[in-house]
Amino acid sequence: MLLAGGVSAALSIGIVVAIVAVRVLRALRRRRDARRCRLVEPMLYRALELGTTPRAVRRLRARDLELLSRLLVEMLASLRGAQGQQLVRLAADAGLVHRDVGSLESRRYQVRARAAQNLGFYGATEHTERLAALLADPEESVRAVAARALSRIGTVEAANALVAHLTSASELTSMRMAENLERIGDLAVPRLTELLSSEEQADRRGQALAARILGNLRVTEAREALGAVLGRRWNADLRAQSTLALGKIGHPGDVPTLVAATRDGSWPVRVQAATALGLIGDVSTVPALRRLVGDDQWWVRVSAAQALANMGGAGEAALTELLRGADQPARRHAASALGPSTPVLAADVIGGAA
Amino acid sequence: MTGQDLMGLVVQLMLGYFVLVNLGQLALYAVSFVEVSGYVRRVAFSALPDLFASNYVPPVSVVVPAYNEAATIADSVRSFLSLHYPGHEVIVVNDGSTDDTLDVLRREFGLIPSVHPMRQELSSAPVRGVYTAEASPLIVIDKLNGGKADALNAGVSAARYPLVCCVDADIVLEEEALLRIVRPMAESSDVAAVGGLVRVANGSRIEDGRLVRAAVPRGLLASIQVVEYVRAFISGRTAWSRLNAMLIISGAFGLFRRADLVAAGGYATDTVGEDMELATRMHRTLRESGRRYRIAFVPDPVAWTEVPTTLRVLGRQRDRWHRGLIDTMCRHRRMLFNPRYGTVGMLAMPYFLVFEVLGPVLELTGYALLVLGVATGLLEPSAFLGMALAIVGLGALPSVAAVFLEELRLARYSSWRDLARLLACAVVENLGYRQLTAFWRVRAIGSYLRSSQEWGAMERRGFVSAPQPLRSASAELDREVGLSPRMR
Repeated sequence: MLLAGGVSAALSIGIVVAIVAVRVLRALRRRRDARRCRLVEPMLYRALELGTTPRAVRRLRARDLELLSRLLVEMLASLRGAQGQQLVRLAADAGLVHRDVGSLESRRYQVRARAAQNLGFYGATEHTERLAALLADPEESVRAVAARALSRIGTVEAANALVAHLTSASELTSMRMAENLERIGDLAVPRLTELLSSEEQADRRGQALAARILGNLRVTEAREALGAVLGRRWNADLRAQSTLALGKIGHPGDVPTLVAATRDGSWPVRVQAATALGLIGDVSTVPALRRLVGDDQWWVRVSAAQALANMGGAGEAALTELLRGADQPARRHAASALGPSTPVLAADVIGGAA
Repeated sequence: MTGQDLMGLVVQLMLGYFVLVNLGQLALYAVSFVEVSGYVRRVAFSALPDLFASNYVPPVSVVVPAYNEAATIADSVRSFLSLHYPGHEVIVVNDGSTDDTLDVLRREFGLIPSVHPMRQELSSAPVRGVYTAEASPLIVIDKLNGGKADALNAGVSAARYPLVCCVDADIVLEEEALLRIVRPMAESSDVAAVGGLVRVANGSRIEDGRLVRAAVPRGLLASIQVVEYVRAFISGRTAWSRLNAMLIISGAFGLFRRADLVAAGGYATDTVGEDMELATRMHRTLRESGRRYRIAFVPDPVAWTEVPTTLRVLGRQRDRWHRGLIDTMCRHRRMLFNPRYGTVGMLAMPYFLVFEVLGPVLELTGYALLVLGVATGLLEPSAFLGMALAIVGLGALPSVAAVFLEELRLARYSSWRDLARLLACAVVENLGYRQLTAFWRVRAIGSYLRSSQEWGAMERRGFVSAPQPLRSASAELDREVGLSPRMR
């Protein structure tokens, strides 16, 4: 009994001592960093002022180099142009680039992630391949940081590497690739379009994301490839995203393709077809949208009614007609879409339906 | 066997029980230590600002059930609307409030009547009206009173987005809380639900629905609950989540994949522990479907909540939590020791049954026998004292260890005074508080057997939206954060 109590009391006291030690060490480290910061920071300002790397930078010790790299990353996040280039040169002169390239193969994922993050700010195109290798890293944090670093480098090679990993085992990683490809923009378009044409079923998620990126970037040249995939029966998600992308691009020439998509067997495709037609706003599509307001699926009905409401007079007229019809779900959705503009009529219909 | 032999046996059994409880808690702690340490290292590279600006993060519907929340609702909704997230809507469900909750919302957010058609995937009490705000993604559903679970079901039905975050109306969420809690869902579609860390807001400074400075409250009762929450959430739930056997997602702050929540049947309206019941039911339905899934916990997305500061309210809260636990265990008893349900059936449920449901009974019986032993002379006072010291020593260890993990990895309490107070509470809670909570929980077993479904009155004061530290020494509130923190 006393043994159990004694052991636990001794352990508790030991932990309390450890807690105090942690806090004291943290405070000491903070103070030391502040002191060193006062030494290192002026070097950066001097480099910006002189346009050359001060000699003192080359003589910094390892822990000061770590501090220097953090300060550089902070400054490079906001600096561009000649000043940014000067800091990138300073990083190379101080040996930071060399150090971080070596760290990309560290066994510790935090070290790999930190190195990749730093190289995104002061690395160069020749590091693309090394960073691209990290896109397959077992750690999600490392993959995310490497993807961001590649988008900062922003070359065709970087874009191609990101496209190659759009279909990742991790959904979050795929998402990271997509958002960084969107950052790179036009340079990513050829490889994304190429991915759309792939017949590999393993590329499913990547293809759907590629369609989404192309839509978000409003790439007119991708219209043909996007339209072509609508015939692929085995990938409903790709068809849905391509449909929406065509809507975002908003070319009138795609209206027939989108109207055809309103008859797709998969309801998410019909939802996106309604949304896309709403975005384009071509009044000739009103009958197709009217039909969709009576669809079996709730989301299709909501999207179609909303699309009609966004089409101005012709759409509102169609909704008002639906309000007076016999199809109760269609009446409800028409009322919802018209709600703010014709509250009395809409409320009457809802009251009647209830 | 003489009376003294019998008393010796009681002492040994009781000591064995305490050692066993401690070993269980320390094993969970060890798992949590590794998990939390890994999480903190990874989150440094999680690029949350990038996610905030991303077009690819799944949108979230934040569902807020509100019953007589006029004092706090405007600030809460404002804070939910201003969360850092690329696409979210806030759905407030006014659950037949008898105060002017709805009027406050109408006035503060310029609500207009909406005829937005609601999906009726989960049944709930009749809806009287739906309102939307002109300038923000806010939907307010006004319905007849049906209880918290019923209100949540109505909110989930109305949710447009694939992820649903259910929060209490009077909690304060940190700005990046939603981004952090969504991360596991974005990582894998296997994740069906995610629990978030809830901390005690009493004593902290809150301005405009934002936590400005975290601090440990001055009142002993609330301070002890800070330690309880740290131990329960950081040391306990993290470990259960690692084992994919987390039986509760706090009603105060939890994220669900809408489709999985609906498929499980939504919140049960005939229990007082709807949050635990739902998490357990989701485990059950997902295991039975044979699908690969995970119910995760993130030890960082912080929701701050006010805790009771009077014994009366605290007792009522713990009574209700314990009834909720027993009810869940009874409803899902076929999962107990059933290998079909994996770690949930073979580890978590037996642990909860032995240490949480029955633990207080064993503990109180032991205390009573010890006192009886001393009173009748069957137990030496020195032995009694030794036992008491052993109980305090064993009880303090998991709490002190939890404070260590908090300080080492999360370090939310910056002042030395707060740290000293947490450590003192880790010891002091074993001198009366622990026994009192055991008593409330035993009493709850009696209430449950008498089939009491009472929630107790909800008396809330709301957060002080002023520069001075939040103090609620006199606040009488009765909230539902989840099950007893000691249960993890």
